[in-house]
Amino acid sequence: MDIESIKTQIESDIKDVNSLPALQEVRVRYLGRKGIIAQLTNSIPSLPQEERGAFGKEVNALKNKLLSLIDEKEKALNATSPKQTTATVDVSMPGVVQELGRLHPLTQTIDEICNIFMRMGFSVVEGPEIETEYNNFSGLNIPLEHPSRDAFDTFYLKGATHLLLRSHTSPVQIRAMKARKPPLAIVVPGRVYRPDAVDASHSFMFHQVEGFMVDTNIKFSHLKGILEVFAKAVFGEDIKMRFRPHFFPFTEPSAEVDISCIICKGKGCSVCGRKGWLEILGSGMIHPNVLKNVGYSRAKFTGFAFGMGVERIAMLKYGINDIRLFFENDLRFLKQF
Amino acid sequence: MKVTYNWLKDFVEINIPAQSLAERLTMAGLEVVSLEEKDKDFIFEIEITSNRPDWLSVIGIAREVAAITGRKLKSPKIISHKVRKSPFELSQGKQSHKAFTVKIEHKKDCPLYTAKIIRDVKVRPSPEWLRKRLELTACRSINNIVDITNYILFTYGEPLHAFDLDKLNSDTIIVRRGKKGERMVTIGEETRAFDSDILVIADKVKPVAIAGILGGKETEVTEGTKNILLEAAIFNPVVIRRSRQRLGIQTDSSYRFERGIDPKTVESASLAAAKLIQGLAGGELILKKDTGLTKAKTKVINLGLDTVNNILGVTVGATKVKNILNNLGFKIRPKTKNNLSVGVPSYRPDVNIEIDLIEEIARIFGYQFIPKSLPSVMPSLGAGGLREQVALIKNILVGLGLNEVITYSLIDSGMLKSFGTLDRLPIEIQNPLSTEQEILRTTILPSLVKCVAYNLNQKQEYINIFEIAKAFSRSSESATKESLALGIALCGEKSRLLNQGRIKDEITLLDLKGVFEVLFERLGVKDYLFVTTGPEEAEICIGKKKVGRIVNLEKEILESFDIKNKNVLVAEVSLDPLLGEANLEKKFIELPAYPGISRDISLILKEEIPAGDILGAIRSEAGPLLKEIEVRDYYRGRQIPSGYRCLTISCFYRSDERTLTESEIAPVHTLICNVLTERLGSKIR
Repeated sequence: MDIESIKTQIESDIKDVNSLPALQEVRVRYLGRKGIIAQLTNSIPSLPQEERGAFGKEVNALKNKLLSLIDEKEKALNATSPKQTTATVDVSMPGVVQELGRLHPLTQTIDEICNIFMRMGFSVVEGPEIETEYNNFSGLNIPLEHPSRDAFDTFYLKGATHLLLRSHTSPVQIRAMKARKPPLAIVVPGRVYRPDAVDASHSFMFHQVEGFMVDTNIKFSHLKGILEVFAKAVFGEDIKMRFRPHFFPFTEPSAEVDISCIICKGKGCSVCGRKGWLEILGSGMIHPNVLKNVGYSRAKFTGFAFGMGVERIAMLKYGINDIRLFFENDLRFLKQF
Repeated sequence: MKVTYNWLKDFVEINIPAQSLAERLTMAGLEVVSLEEKDKDFIFEIEITSNRPDWLSVIGIAREVAAITGRKLKSPKIISHKVRKSPFELSQGKQSHKAFTVKIEHKKDCPLYTAKIIRDVKVRPSPEWLRKRLELTACRSINNIVDITNYILFTYGEPLHAFDLDKLNSDTIIVRRGKKGERMVTIGEETRAFDSDILVIADKVKPVAIAGILGGKETEVTEGTKNILLEAAIFNPVVIRRSRQRLGIQTDSSYRFERGIDPKTVESASLAAAKLIQGLAGGELILKKDTGLTKAKTKVINLGLDTVNNILGVTVGATKVKNILNNLGFKIRPKTKNNLSVGVPSYRPDVNIEIDLIEEIARIFGYQFIPKSLPSVMPSLGAGGLREQVALIKNILVGLGLNEVITYSLIDSGMLKSFGTLDRLPIEIQNPLSTEQEILRTTILPSLVKCVAYNLNQKQEYINIFEIAKAFSRSSESATKESLALGIALCGEKSRLLNQGRIKDEITLLDLKGVFEVLFERLGVKDYLFVTTGPEEAEICIGKKKVGRIVNLEKEILESFDIKNKNVLVAEVSLDPLLGEANLEKKFIELPAYPGISRDISLILKEEIPAGDILGAIRSEAGPLLKEIEVRDYYRGRQIPSGYRCLTISCFYRSDERTLTESEIAPVHTLICNVLTERLGSKIR
């Protein structure tokens, strides 16, 4: 077939086309790997040397002509033909997606707490869950045989007299202070253990976040300032706070920190026991004996420390009424967070 | 500690209503946990911190009320009595003319013991006012003598005990340690056994009371009692604490002795009791006997006013400081302009150093008047280290659809046994409350399987959970080890709604492998390998070292967790070696400048030939042009003879120097195909 008749054929073929799929067929017939244009190109080497150039040019021109015709036709079809009648996507159907898992609500709470303090320049340090009696008690100014220890019922390990499961995260204070020199600004999240019978508000394993800061010239007013930033970041700008004197062996002066009840806004409800206040953490200026125990100069350095129960914060924040839910790990519970 | 409004008013003028008083007390560190109006009085229930034994008395709380309201304490009159010194005679015909004596075996156990003998009392019900006061503070009224000892205990904070003198077997009271085999029936009608850890009050024959804790039934004051021996003493707090813990009895007495008694209160409380007894029960105080000395030296502390202001971050002012301390009973002597010498009253064993005084000042000054300020914090440059790596792992796993769980580190040892992982010695707990707290887990997996079982019971179809927590073990009796582990458990049918409809897929070990491949890739762990160790079990190795395993759990194990007809796939990996190999440093590699060519090979091969062998053969034969190789698809089924499977492997060839041509690839590809057919006996489709 000569080029000219192919050209005519092309023109009539394209003219007859009235749908995009039909146009695609034409495209394949002429331009495909084994299409007519390819056959023409492949025939070039078999031609006499002097004809090859001119023939090649003609084939090329034909190809360009074809491409522009197809292009035109495609535009024309797109413009005139009504929208393809493929079914409309039913967007009320569920989306197609790989489901994400969830971090445990306690992990999310710990992360939130730590992030708030990290924004204020604190760094996160962790410590072992098996602790020495010294780090858990004596080093923190808790005498071994004293009623102040009653608040810290503790699991002891069999066969290792002075080892126990830490009953609070405070032993990390001793570890961190012994390992580093001031200035220090540290938060410590972690698991702690106390032999408590399990009920809606008690668990023998729970989580705490401890925080402390040591430097020259750290004051009680700093403690108040830092903790206010924290409480407002977690519970909202409009909460009220109060610092109530309390006793902890490892801090002095010590304070318990209450926020106005987030449920009743301070009017009194069942969550706050009609008091209008919710206790959220314990705090105070680090006791000079603790500073002495880690080898810091009591004349030069002061510091504050605070500690809170993560479960309590999470329960208040999410309105969870039973601590056991955290450890049952019902997926219907976990997937709410 | 319960105290009433009217009772407090015996010792201090109160000019504010009960509700405001409760608030003021709370804000001074005496947290009022409940306030109740009853019988024209108000009952305050106050939580007393363990450092303040002085607050375990109405007078102690009244002193605080005085300090926070700026009033003076009405001091209780110390009553002195003429004591007729007559020889002590035992009634019941046992004539003994020796003087009554008190013997203290160890001075340390009992620094002070005072005894008073009151003769011819009439035991009867208490008068209305006394009964009411005790009952308002939840103390049962017994009879006038017992009620008086309780009333004085609550008022002064000094525990007293009254014995029926005539029931004692001798004229000697001995304060000594218990002996093995000794027993006594207590007032509560319970038989208690003693040993040398328990301090007792005894006559010459046997114990008559558990010192500082509880009296004996035999010498109890009853309606028939005529003569009484009134005991007021100081016992060693640690000894009382040990006795109390050993016997498991907590009483109002032991509670106070454990926290410490004001030595100066002992005599005044005892005399006040004697006076009340004589007033309400008649009788005559005929003997006073004090054994032991308590010459407590007054503690003096130097207080720098600058220190107060520096610690608190507020200027309190010298006058204010002096007023606060004075009202609390401290004796102040100015030393210099900025220094005070402060004498500590005997009822404040908790005040020993300067900071103790600063706390007192802050408390009464009011924490609410201390301003808030922000310290300057030196920012830390170091990254979060381990915690950040763990957070990254958690996020990757959550991204793969897994849900994080948190389970107890303490478990029942039976749980571990049924799991059969006894390669590591568990650490046992000395004092578990239940079997569920017997040991520290050596592996996270049993807890995860328990969690799977729980969720199956809740009718969950697909359970995919993980936990990162410590696993504990011991290498010898006392050498303990704790290290972070990652556990994963999968159970149920994986199903997803896609555009083509719902697809369901049975989970296999490859689901777990996939999780770890992504994890390793994202953590930059390169040198890892999964080594088959059983039909449905494989070890995970990093750099030839075993770091964990993936396994489809056996039926027997699952049955011990009440899981039936389900597959549970679990994985556990030690995080320390994993994180040791992690490399989170990222480095940019130039994007390819030339396009590559992809060639698929579809082959049928025997089931027992691992895909890994095929990929390995291709890799070793292909030469440098082969850049990537992957299993595109696999198929078993009708078109394939049984015992065979079909794999489609995609090879991607590329050069960094030029655009590859067909003719360069063809020989390499042919070579590969030949190796696969000739050496590995597979058939190219």
